[in-house]
Amino acid sequence: MEKLGRQIEIGPTDNTSNERTPRNRLHLIPDNARGSFAPYAPQNYGINPAEADMTRIAPGRPRGEGDAIKVTGQIMDEFGRPIRNSLIEIWNANKYGRYTHIEDHSGLQLDPNFLGVGRTLSDNDGNYEFWTIRPGEYLARPDIGRWRPKHIHLSIRGGSSRIITQMYFAGDPHNDTDPMRILMGDNFDKNLGKEYETDGEDFDCGYQFDIVIGGKNPTFFENN
Amino acid sequence: MTQSSGKSNRLIATNEDTLGPYYPISLCDNDSMDLTEIRSGIINKPLGEKIIINGCIKDINGNLANGILLEFWQPNAAGIYRRPDTETHHKLDPWFTGYARHRTKDGNFTLTTIKPGVDVDLETPRAPNITLTIFSDGIMRIVTQLFFEGEKANDTDPLLLSINEELRDRLMIKPDGEDENGIKKYKIEIIMAGDNETPFFDDLLS
Repeated sequence: MEKLGRQIEIGPTDNTSNERTPRNRLHLIPDNARGSFAPYAPQNYGINPAEADMTRIAPGRPRGEGDAIKVTGQIMDEFGRPIRNSLIEIWNANKYGRYTHIEDHSGLQLDPNFLGVGRTLSDNDGNYEFWTIRPGEYLARPDIGRWRPKHIHLSIRGGSSRIITQMYFAGDPHNDTDPMRILMGDNFDKNLGKEYETDGEDFDCGYQFDIVIGGKNPTFFENN
Repeated sequence: MTQSSGKSNRLIATNEDTLGPYYPISLCDNDSMDLTEIRSGIINKPLGEKIIINGCIKDINGNLANGILLEFWQPNAAGIYRRPDTETHHKLDPWFTGYARHRTKDGNFTLTTIKPGVDVDLETPRAPNITLTIFSDGIMRIVTQLFFEGEKANDTDPLLLSINEELRDRLMIKPDGEDENGIKKYKIEIIMAGDNETPFFDDLLS
């Protein structure tokens, strides 16, 4: 059977997905053009360690409202090899489900002590850690009563590795109707943070969220 | 960890997800859409011809796709990419990275860059091209590659030859006059879905 590229599916009840999802299958890349599809981002970012503590706007400031949580994990390729020194960008809504983004017009409550934007780097073993406030769910489609479940956005960029994904929370009643969660099917558990206890630390709990970046790009320059 | 050659022994990848509508604009504060200046206020310039590309990203209704994140990737004027396997390449340009990132509020973008060249030493030389990655609300990452209309090397480019002529034309960056300083301008329209849809490529299955 002839090998074909993926047909990207449209997220149910997601208007933007309907407007922006290509209707044609993706085209396969011939081997002798494949290398050009592995962008290699320059590692020229300088970040402040305090950016990994999203529970406060800045060091010395009070914590935002809601439950402080710790998120930890390892970033790796499909062979389990760590993806080192990658830039991790994080953004999430506050406990009321509101982003500080200028284009969030939901009118939900803002928290003067929560920004919801952070950055960190993975270490030499691909491990990362950041602290934030557990985000709230929010009504994304008031017209049909569809909510977005609690989620944290993560963008990872390191060398030729690239992914933008979201970490979800097990047991959120809105998970089942989320358009992208529906498309993920049985693989949804890969996008769930695994809750663990943080005894003696000043957190409600921790979540382990390991991230496996698929495809040839993460290992392109190791295997060629 | 032992490397496995069998697909079945590989780990299952984390699902990519949408960008959502609220990617923090401030995270792009240090990104530049001018690849001819590796940092501001220095005299050193990359080799090659400076060009300006004006483009836009549209949805299925012909509306501009707002709030998206764009990443550009291209070789230098000699056709050489800056990556681990070219670290010591004699044609690598120290003043050119080839990587740009931009969050566009309204779906328009302007990239100032060096016209990418052709690496004539390759067994199958590639026509001048720019790889474009799009992150958007409603869809996971999609990727395409843009070419320059009228380039001789287009006739033998393996990626262009892998799609039909009509689709090839949708990947063409077209000349659009000059600016007041005589710098050549180009334009391109990317259509994410529907009539005249831009072809996108699968970098997970290929």
